[in-house]
Amino acid sequence: MTTVTKPKSRFARFWDSDFAYNFRRSPVAMVSFAIVAILVISSMFAPLFATMNPFNPANLDLLNGFTPPGTPNDFTGERFLMGTDDQGRDVYSTILYGMRVSLFVGFAAVMLGMVIGVTMGLISGYFGGWTDTIIMRVADVQLTFPSILVAMLIFGVAKGFTPVEYRDQLAIWVLILAIGLSDWVQFARVVRGATLVERNKEYVQAARLMGRGAFPILFRHILPNVLSPVLVIATISLALAIIAEATLSFLGVGAPSTQPSLGTLIRIGQGYLFSGEWWILFFPSVTLLALALSVNMLGDWLRDALNPKLR
Amino acid sequence: MFRFAAISALALTVASSAYAESFRWAGTTDPQTMDPHAVNSAPVLGFLNNVYEGLVRRGKDMAVQPALATAWEPIGEGEGWRFTLRQGVKFHDGSDFTAEDVLFSYERASSEASDTRSWFAPVSGVNVVDDYTVDILTSAPNPLFPSSIANWMIMDKGWTEANNAARPDKENGNYATLNVNGTGAFMLKDRQPGLTTTLAPFAGWWDEAEHNITEATFTPIDNPATSVAALLSGDVDMINPVPIQDAARVDERDGTKVIRGVEARVIMLGFGHEADTLKYGAMAGKPNPFQDVRVREAVAKAINVDAILKTIMRGSAESVSQLVTPAMSGYSDANADRPAYDVEGAKALLAEAGYADGFSFGLKCPNNRYLNDEAVCQAVTGMLARVGITAELEAMPVQNYWPELRADNFDMYLLGWSPGTFDHEHPVRFLVSTPNAEKKLGSWNFGGFSDARVDELLPMIQSEIDAEKRQGMVDEVTAIYQNAHAYVPMYVQPLVWGTRDNIALTQRPDNFFILRWVTVN
Repeated sequence: MTTVTKPKSRFARFWDSDFAYNFRRSPVAMVSFAIVAILVISSMFAPLFATMNPFNPANLDLLNGFTPPGTPNDFTGERFLMGTDDQGRDVYSTILYGMRVSLFVGFAAVMLGMVIGVTMGLISGYFGGWTDTIIMRVADVQLTFPSILVAMLIFGVAKGFTPVEYRDQLAIWVLILAIGLSDWVQFARVVRGATLVERNKEYVQAARLMGRGAFPILFRHILPNVLSPVLVIATISLALAIIAEATLSFLGVGAPSTQPSLGTLIRIGQGYLFSGEWWILFFPSVTLLALALSVNMLGDWLRDALNPKLR
Repeated sequence: MFRFAAISALALTVASSAYAESFRWAGTTDPQTMDPHAVNSAPVLGFLNNVYEGLVRRGKDMAVQPALATAWEPIGEGEGWRFTLRQGVKFHDGSDFTAEDVLFSYERASSEASDTRSWFAPVSGVNVVDDYTVDILTSAPNPLFPSSIANWMIMDKGWTEANNAARPDKENGNYATLNVNGTGAFMLKDRQPGLTTTLAPFAGWWDEAEHNITEATFTPIDNPATSVAALLSGDVDMINPVPIQDAARVDERDGTKVIRGVEARVIMLGFGHEADTLKYGAMAGKPNPFQDVRVREAVAKAINVDAILKTIMRGSAESVSQLVTPAMSGYSDANADRPAYDVEGAKALLAEAGYADGFSFGLKCPNNRYLNDEAVCQAVTGMLARVGITAELEAMPVQNYWPELRADNFDMYLLGWSPGTFDHEHPVRFLVSTPNAEKKLGSWNFGGFSDARVDELLPMIQSEIDAEKRQGMVDEVTAIYQNAHAYVPMYVQPLVWGTRDNIALTQRPDNFFILRWVTVN
């Protein structure tokens, strides 16, 4: 006799998986995930959540400047949840819009670093020999420089090549390029190591015997098997990229004040620290802290969850 | 006996350290050059006033005093001025100061390569009478001439020529950009552009030293919060400026104080008048709307100066209607009103000029030159957006800013002007009269504003001796540039310096920091 069980839905299967079980058992992961989700969604749909578009200058009333959180403005009587900055911009709305830039730059930079790093790592690990030596020595040399320094260098050089009138528009892309190029090494080293192990396994040899070319083997066969550490590095890199972006913008070489990121907002707020307008600095900083910390926690948890030895 | 000697030696060092001190100060802008004829801007001239000297100098009350000249008198019926030079003055390298150096400095400062040419617009020639007498001839009677050359600094002919620096070089620099050989109270000990500049007293100075400084170090700190932190923590003894938002805190705190004043500097917006097309924004290449006086008037009406003063300047600045402040001579009482803030009026004017749907353009702005300059430009951008015109703001450090303005790379720009002569004629000569390299006029009139009547009146103003007639002509010029909205004067910048309590100094309204009046207690 056979009992017919209804096939489980995809979600239910995911819910029952080791991965999801692990997630449900970890309060840190759940809280981090919730914070990241809230921040990402609220910034992606910033126009829905914000009280104003702070980057449309026509919306600003200078007389609203320096309003403390929650108290009515002296001249206009308006109230703002997190106060306003020197131009009368609502700090809360500015953070939502600013976080968009931070997250976008972070994601795009990690994607760029990942694509370059994974490709380089695969090639290096699979072919070995001179190719491996050259790629890895370049990586080693780059690793000896602090990545923020490399990013500043790339940013400075790229800025020199962009015409002045497009500098502001291109600043975000240059920033992505700078951060992305400065962290491909992490990916390359890990992927190379994993590829070295995988390339001698039977399935790779089988594929080779079947006459498959090197690149199909690399990307169709080996890549899926080295992906889980890549995922972990990507998550941790995201937190680092967000911080790198904030650092560069804080130093004034990142996102321009017309498209401020969290780092730009912190730089602006820092000017008012001594004069008692703490909210201009405080709220963007807390947001950056929450974002970077939760992404990092999530990355940590992911590393544990995907590591079979820790199970 | 030995102990006594040790104690008295100790007492001696304590006593001498009470009289002689090192002094450190910080400002937002590093003087770009040590060449007194290369850049006509206050951070440079103010700094160089400590190492170089002119024939005359200004005292604590801004009154003109003898310096390298001991006396001066008009020649004939206003043909020029005869200066009697001080004898026994030495340059820092020990060479003697003579009339040859004055003639040389005139040729250098009025040369094509110099940024200070406009100062010599009224001068037709310089004659050396003997070693210690010089005649400066003017093309028309010029009663204010001696007070107009307080910042014309005298360089040593021999030293300058020996070091291939006989002409200033604004772009590439030369020996005089990094080295100094003046007659002033201080010598340049060490110069690291953008990092530190160290001065030491000049033992051979002709005048009696009032200060007690043994060494003075200037550090540019462009982040305002960092400079306040440096003052509060005792890393520096004086900062200029204190960010307006931090003035109260610096004043309240034990050990530091704030010295306030009103600077002679008017902050204004300038337009591209001469340019036929816009250079920036979505409409780059289209006809320049600012050639239409109605558009310029609309801009003037769209700016809510009161709001800027209340928030960004925190109530410590005053609005202004002219290119000079009411405290300057020649201020025109007849034209004291500035255009009222009127959004609807501005929109109506724009519609009348055919820009009902607005337009976009480029606004250039410095970000380390004037108090809260970038914030003011951002606020201006917001106010213009409310009447429908879009300013694309680009803010940059002042080292890049002046070359950008000289290259006409703007549609609109921010400028601050402090008249070196404390007279209304000065901004008219530099900012309003038609640019004319040959006559050395309009050298900071970047937008190329031009009015035939102004050009006609300027020489008459310069040579008029009757105060009432002169004021009548100044009033006329003022009315012309106001009605044409050649500039939009906004406010007078406040002076806010911060020092430690043990420092005594004098704040001059031209924002020059004169080291020889500093005592460390």
